Amino acid sequence: MDPIFEHQLLQTRRQFFGQTGLRLGGLALANMLGSQTARAATTGELRVNPPLPGFPHFPPKAKAVIYLHMNGGPPQLDMWDYKPQLQKFFDTEIPKEIRGDQRITGMTSGQARFPVAPSIFKFDQHGQCGRWVSEVQPYTAKIVDEIALIKTVHTNAINHDPACTFVMTGSEVPGRASIGSWLAYGLGSESNNLPAFVCLMPRSGGGQALFSRMWGSGFLPTRYTGVTLRGAGDPVLYLQNPEGVGSSDRRVMLDALGKLNQRGFDKFGDPEIQTRISQYEMAFRMQTSVPELVDMSKEPAAVMDLYGPDVKNSGSFAHSALMARRLVERGVRVVQIMHRGWDTHGNLPNALKSQCKDTDQGVGALIADLKQSGLLDSTLVIWGGEFGRTVYSQGNLTATDYGRDHHPRNFCMWMAGGGIKGGTVLGETDDFSYNIVDTPVHLNEINATILHCMGIDHSRFTHPLQGLDVRLTGVEPARVVTEILG
Amino acid sequence: MSFRLFRFVLATSMAASAHAEGEPLSFNRDIRPILSDKCFACHGFDAKHRKAELRLDTLEGGHGKSKSGAVAIQPGNPAGSEVWKRINETDPDEIMPPPDSHKTLTAAEKEVLKKWMEQGASYQRHWSFEPPVKSAVPPIPPEMPARNEVDAFIFDRLKKEGLTPLSEADKETLIRRITFALTGLPPSLTEVEAFLADASPDAYEKVVDRLLASPAYGEQMGRNWLDVARYGDTHGLHLDNERSMWLYRDWVVGAFNRNLPFDQFTIEQLAGDLLPNATQDQIVATGFNRCNVTTGEGGAIDAEFIFRYAVERTATTAQTWLGLTAGCAQCHDHKFDPLSQKEFYQLYSFFHSAADPAMDGNAILTAPVLKMITPDDTKRLADYDAQIAATEQRKLAEVEKVAYVDPASLVPLPPAKIEDRMLVEDDFPAGVATASKPNWVTKDAGPVACGNRALRISGKGVTQDYYEGGNPPIDVPVEAKFSFQVFIDPTDPPKAVMIQFNTTGWKHRAMWGDQTAIPGWGAPNTGERFIAGPLPPSTGWQTLEVPAASMGLNAGDKITGLAFTLDGGTAHFDGLKVTGRIDDAKDETKSFLAWLAAREGKDTAGLPGELNNLFKSVPAATRTDFQQKQLRDYFLINVCQTTKPVLATIEAEVAKMKSEREQLDKVIPSTFVMKDLDAPRESFVMIRGAYDKPGEKVVRDVPAAFPPLPNKEKPTRLDLAKWLVAENNPLSARVTVNRFWQQVFGTGLVKTSGDFGSQGQPPSHPELLDWLAVTFRESGWDMKRLMRLLVTSATFRQSSAAPEALWKRDPENRLHARGARLRLDAEEVRDNALAISGLLKTKMGGAGVRPYQPPNIWEPVGFDGSTTRNYVQDKGDSLYRRSLYTFIKRTAPPPFMVNFDAPSREQSCTVRERSNTPMQALQLMNDVQHIEAARGFAERLMTEGGATPDERITFGYRLVLARHPSAEELEVVRAAMGEHLAKYQAAPEAAAKLIRQGESPPKAGLAEPELAAWTLIANLLLNLDETITRN
Repeated sequence: MDPIFEHQLLQTRRQFFGQTGLRLGGLALANMLGSQTARAATTGELRVNPPLPGFPHFPPKAKAVIYLHMNGGPPQLDMWDYKPQLQKFFDTEIPKEIRGDQRITGMTSGQARFPVAPSIFKFDQHGQCGRWVSEVQPYTAKIVDEIALIKTVHTNAINHDPACTFVMTGSEVPGRASIGSWLAYGLGSESNNLPAFVCLMPRSGGGQALFSRMWGSGFLPTRYTGVTLRGAGDPVLYLQNPEGVGSSDRRVMLDALGKLNQRGFDKFGDPEIQTRISQYEMAFRMQTSVPELVDMSKEPAAVMDLYGPDVKNSGSFAHSALMARRLVERGVRVVQIMHRGWDTHGNLPNALKSQCKDTDQGVGALIADLKQSGLLDSTLVIWGGEFGRTVYSQGNLTATDYGRDHHPRNFCMWMAGGGIKGGTVLGETDDFSYNIVDTPVHLNEINATILHCMGIDHSRFTHPLQGLDVRLTGVEPARVVTEILG
Repeated sequence: MSFRLFRFVLATSMAASAHAEGEPLSFNRDIRPILSDKCFACHGFDAKHRKAELRLDTLEGGHGKSKSGAVAIQPGNPAGSEVWKRINETDPDEIMPPPDSHKTLTAAEKEVLKKWMEQGASYQRHWSFEPPVKSAVPPIPPEMPARNEVDAFIFDRLKKEGLTPLSEADKETLIRRITFALTGLPPSLTEVEAFLADASPDAYEKVVDRLLASPAYGEQMGRNWLDVARYGDTHGLHLDNERSMWLYRDWVVGAFNRNLPFDQFTIEQLAGDLLPNATQDQIVATGFNRCNVTTGEGGAIDAEFIFRYAVERTATTAQTWLGLTAGCAQCHDHKFDPLSQKEFYQLYSFFHSAADPAMDGNAILTAPVLKMITPDDTKRLADYDAQIAATEQRKLAEVEKVAYVDPASLVPLPPAKIEDRMLVEDDFPAGVATASKPNWVTKDAGPVACGNRALRISGKGVTQDYYEGGNPPIDVPVEAKFSFQVFIDPTDPPKAVMIQFNTTGWKHRAMWGDQTAIPGWGAPNTGERFIAGPLPPSTGWQTLEVPAASMGLNAGDKITGLAFTLDGGTAHFDGLKVTGRIDDAKDETKSFLAWLAAREGKDTAGLPGELNNLFKSVPAATRTDFQQKQLRDYFLINVCQTTKPVLATIEAEVAKMKSEREQLDKVIPSTFVMKDLDAPRESFVMIRGAYDKPGEKVVRDVPAAFPPLPNKEKPTRLDLAKWLVAENNPLSARVTVNRFWQQVFGTGLVKTSGDFGSQGQPPSHPELLDWLAVTFRESGWDMKRLMRLLVTSATFRQSSAAPEALWKRDPENRLHARGARLRLDAEEVRDNALAISGLLKTKMGGAGVRPYQPPNIWEPVGFDGSTTRNYVQDKGDSLYRRSLYTFIKRTAPPPFMVNFDAPSREQSCTVRERSNTPMQALQLMNDVQHIEAARGFAERLMTEGGATPDERITFGYRLVLARHPSAEELEVVRAAMGEHLAKYQAAPEAAAKLIRQGESPPKAGLAEPELAAWTLIANLLLNLDETITRN
């Protein structure tokens, strides 16, 4: 591009930023500002997607979030919430005083019996902290000293659609912003070349549905929507030039476009035109930066081995986990990995093995890899689903087989990394993992804690909607779960 | 600066500049926004959360004594006012707003409040609850070229601001602007030329009238309304299956085109079903209230969703017509507006008795639905029925020609023989419906027991292949047993395998393997779930056998479908056959006597009632000859296999007619409509908005802040609809004209077009808003007339090229000192490219179409069993329809729309954003739809655009922008063309690829390198900022 023209653009744009920095959203034009590094903030450069003024509210413990969403409801009894005494209740009716008169789903409310199904998996103690972990997650077991386990998370919804909507947006009804969008909105992006919020999609995958509202911006401006990095097709939508068009052809076209649009700006004076010019340049740059991002050929063999053989399959969990590290490394604020298939109403033992085979090594590798690359201290990793599963069996219970229905009253989530005190455990459930007996933690409080680690006071983080100042964490007071903070 | 503050400053600056120094402050304009934002949360309408029993939203509250005895506000005496004291406190325990509210007053705000108290602290009701008054049209400043009343108001304000409007845009800009504004499409070159050639003073108005009369007008207006109506083509929750309600979408388009008055437009959508002698059309209109998202998720609780749907409908109606954000009153009294929780539930009770179920059943049609049957359809269906009946009549005559001999009457009786019959070998029967895609493997791909192929089934959980609609059906013989071959995969054995048969339903099953496998399929210990044995060994092909009777199948039953099923794992199936004893004398399908004997004294399902009665209650010996003949005729026509062949021709005729009738019936579309339950539900205030915590019982009514309903006794939805558009309703007309204004000018006079309450912004031009509202109502709610008024104003016709100072002074153009400059909406961006390329198909209406979509948009999110799990792109014309007709899956809406800020339609949307992102740039550069359009455009450049590059570029500019390029622009494009051409001449294989993107073939006879180069030029022109902008 003509250097004089570039200089003029730069001048106009600096002016423009100065006035209305907020109007420039999503991604922007680092390349035009001379950036060669991915991490603009570390080089003291102008951030094209800056935080809201006054943000963060206080020095953050973590700069980035990696949210591992296990869609469908992982069974806490078979993974984390160890209840050895349950064995003696095998196939006996769950005691009335435990079950109470609580709501259960229409899928099992017609069952004649509610037989207790102890986990068939073996638990052992791991790490310095001696955490009980089931044998289905041998790799996660190796990093338990990094994680804070919360055994008493509870949610409002009992079915997938509202529960998924709730876990990600703080409301059961569609229309609110997802947690990733909130963070991108408040904190902007550290990267001038990549979006603030990236959602890693599975290649396909069975099981319960996902909903685009889980990474949608809801009532926030659409530029805060999670950009999906896809397991199949173009990694970013429409990234590739059509067949027969090379990068140099695109450059010719864009040079002409820049000149013509600049003429448009001279004529109309509309600052949106300047933004548009810069967005085209950003698009062009993404055509190289994204392939560079997704090209893992330069990752050392030791790292690839850490994630296991699946890491080579785009769209697999292991691949997404490594991608998450690469994204965070490049300054992306929020990465959300969607993993499906945890809705184990029947055939739980086999299904769970298969789910963990998909995810366990990747989870362990991600934490280890973040740690060895020095990123764990500044990256908050969250693992969890939308609810838990019942102690009683759905369908027939045998010595080797059972199923579990949805259970919103208590389930396990864990966090690790920036701001988190590794090796801690919080909360206790009753002997049947059916009721919380100590320290309930509502999902709103999980979200409040995530925001806290990112330097945000959730009670002050609001957006006007329909006459209310809406918070991610709801209208009721929600506390930050300080017990797990380091 | 938070978004909230940013918004607030803008609002006050818009308003503050309206009054000069020393002019009295207006409570609504100057004071309410401050109090509402900073004070009303604790000192407002919501009694439950009111602190210190002090309310500042009314005169009585503000001027009265507080609990402590202090006077909150002393008119004329700020110093004696507790409010003034407290907002200037420094003690954190005393200061207002309190620190924990995270709200603070700025010095400027305090100054305004002080001045207001000095001036007497007068109150007004919130502006939007006062009825609009048609104020006098201001005199037009002589130096400003006004065209109608809109300009008088706008220019009057400009004069006060010391601004002047810009001159009228040039004609090329104008025709492109107005054509997009009214139709969402670009003008054709012919239309541009006609307008340029028309020197008459009303040339522009003629264009406006032409556009208002064009069908594309209804599409453009309808598209905007469908955002508000939250129209989508799927249910929106959980499975997110397809739903059929596009008739409603087409109704909206039609209503705009025939200029249905807005009051009627309102009444028909909210209560068309309750109108006396409602037409089908009026009932289709009630789809508005069926557009909400619904669930069919197993285990969901009915009461919860009945509640949610009613809340959603209440909130949508209140927002659409009243500009009220009623949703928060679901849980508590509204904090800012006079809407109590009880009043919310009174409104809710109008919608709470809707007849649609809590669970949508994941069905494409969830009752209540309307079948849109025309008189012509009715007649054609009746004709078929008559013909079918007449043809059936001929059967008797045919049958009587045959000398039927009952085998049971022969002496000696014919000998019995065992026969078997292959049912499934190599494939399902021809012509049957298969929902799955059966995987038939040949010997090179897997084991085959007999014939050429075997059926391989493999999956997680219950997996099956099946067919339905077998014709002729399989007759179950006497003493029948079924057998088949199965090969269990030793490395991946299923828990069980199963065969299933459909007669009058899927209710005959036999299973081998784990008894708990395939849970829930059929009642245990019945023919619906017969456990035939253990899973056979996985050591090669095994034969499995089961008696028909074990599955509840009787001789003579007709099987129309069958299924092979397994629970997890992998197996191969082959050679399904039925073996039975063929004993003519005992065969009910051959012997009349045997048939009679099997039914005497019994109740036989499936027989015509009259004949069934004969068996049940008329002993054989007492039957008349006529009755006996009735039975015999029935047997010979419908049952007997030996007489059947003579009926084959007639049967074929009947089958053909039936199938035609079915086809006709199938294409008659149905749509979701609104209807109330016969017995209305009782409604209650739901405590804290919880579906299972009913409080006080409520009856239907409207909020007290509004004029009352004329009919207080058992009002209906129709009464509510009429009340919304009654003359004395202060909001509906204002909210509606504001939305039209927003559509035309980009931002509403009230910027928060979905919130006219005190948390919304006050109008930038209150007198104009009211004048428009009253004028609109007085015109008989004439929507085209309103649009015409707006777009023929000088305000609309101004140039949008403005000096820098003006952009800085008023970045959002709220003062209208320049013409609006708006990025096209998502649909317009695509339709523009299609129109310019010549690919656009203007066919209107019909079910949603599936144009190009990148792979893997639906699949990674879709539920396994969803009808919208796999995106199957359409072919042919459907790829080029207007974007309004694109199928909207709400949990994964089309990316080309989302990328340009189209809403997901999961909830009502009153205003779209206009973002500007690199994702949009990538889409316009690379989406196959845009590349194909660029090629179509390039073909036009080469074939219609003249011979020289300059002529073609000029032609291109005129197509995309209606104007000629400047010399400099021409040069830039020409240079780019030179580079592209050189490249493609050197690389013809690249050219060949580029011009073959998309499904339509490139035009024959054009030099490929040249076409490719022009394609990139067309791509360039379609990517211009000016091209995707309404200038």
